[in-house]
Amino acid sequence: MAHDDHSAHHVNYAAVFVALCVFTGLSVVFDLLSFDNHLITIVLVLAVAVAKALCVMMFFMHLKFEGNWKFVLLAPTTILAIGLPLALLPDIGVAYYTSTAPQVEEWGTEFAEYKAQHNHEVPAAEAH
Amino acid sequence: MSHSTPPSGLKMGIPIPNSKLGLWLFLGTEIMFFTAFIGSYIVLRIGSPQWPTDTADTHISIIAGGVNTFVLILSSYFVVLAHEAMAKKNFPQARRFLIWTMSLAFVFLGIKSYEYYGKISHDILPSHIAETPGQAINKVDRELEAVVRERFKVYTDDQLIDVAEAADLSNVNAQLDIFSTSPEKQQQYPALTETAKADVRLYAEWQNLHQHIVADVSLLKVPAAAGPGYAQARAALADGASLPPLEYGEVVAKVNELKSDEQFGAAVRSGVFDPHPVLYGNLFASIYFLMTGFHAIHVIVGMILFVVPLMQGSNLDGRYTDWVENSGLYWHFVDLVWIFLFPLLYIA
Repeated sequence: MAHDDHSAHHVNYAAVFVALCVFTGLSVVFDLLSFDNHLITIVLVLAVAVAKALCVMMFFMHLKFEGNWKFVLLAPTTILAIGLPLALLPDIGVAYYTSTAPQVEEWGTEFAEYKAQHNHEVPAAEAH
Repeated sequence: MSHSTPPSGLKMGIPIPNSKLGLWLFLGTEIMFFTAFIGSYIVLRIGSPQWPTDTADTHISIIAGGVNTFVLILSSYFVVLAHEAMAKKNFPQARRFLIWTMSLAFVFLGIKSYEYYGKISHDILPSHIAETPGQAINKVDRELEAVVRERFKVYTDDQLIDVAEAADLSNVNAQLDIFSTSPEKQQQYPALTETAKADVRLYAEWQNLHQHIVADVSLLKVPAAAGPGYAQARAALADGASLPPLEYGEVVAKVNELKSDEQFGAAVRSGVFDPHPVLYGNLFASIYFLMTGFHAIHVIVGMILFVVPLMQGSNLDGRYTDWVENSGLYWHFVDLVWIFLFPLLYIA
């Protein structure tokens, strides 16, 4: 049967599993490092997530050993998946939501003050 | 299936079983299903500066999320081993790996339930979260009223007092003193004498707070927010002047005071959440529960898929090889979704 083909490929699944665990640990380490710019953390953990996703798709889901049909099937969905946030971003992400949210208006300039005070009272480390 | 048709010289279509092709097509729609949520989250998040990331606000447990990531990865590993064992026709071993996968799925859902419990116990639920100090104050007002209503039910449900309209709390309150003044009632309901006194006090505290909230005047600096004294104080104000406004800190202090009361403290503690405004908290809660909830539903569906070969017991054989492979692919996809949800919801 066709799906027996890739059984011939010898994948060291244990090594893939260990790599995935190491990547997960890395995400937590990046969070604990708490960079001054939170964007750095976001980019790093998402990069790790992409690496993990590739490991799972290539080896656990055997996509590395499948025929070219995988591209025919996955390319349109991937394009649509990336297209959706890009299409929504200019309208909702950038232009619309920021200035008119009523709760933001009500806070006025007090939010930063409150946050500073609150964070002082309850350090994030104790919140768990 | 394709191999059941008579052999022909021409090979048509994609060289994989129809079931696997169907599963991959389904996974294509699943990718779009989850990326619609993830994409909307990213867009809303970018559009909402000061999105809650502090774990003191969100009650997100990175450790629980991290452990769950490990659990799903391990279960994915066992599925792949189960499929390999099926291909090698080592069916008892395949069964053992499937049992491990099932057990880990239960562990995942257990940890998820623990996390959900943490959210619910702090009222981190869509539409429940106060997003500004003003909303937090109003929430305290509503919750305290509900506590009073609950306490008054003791008297009205059993018709211990004559109340035509039990919904009117002031009406009930006015009649509670019969438990301390009427010897007959005291004899009949000795325990309620003290409770009624405490409940009158609780009602007065809520009324006082409520009136200060409605009038928006300071709890400490303006002794009463209703009645002739208050009207006089307002009348005596110079033109354009106003009484000092109610402050968020005063309400927090009052809530803590009520929670530490010996008589009704326990009721207030269980009925009134600590006021804690979280800007964009409701949007966060909606997204968190929508994404993790749909993911949990997928975990449950995956478990149902694994039950089918497991139900064959020791009769598991080669007929289920495709089934195990396909449900395995589905399970890897569920793992894949979590691989993205973990950094997006727990860390980012």
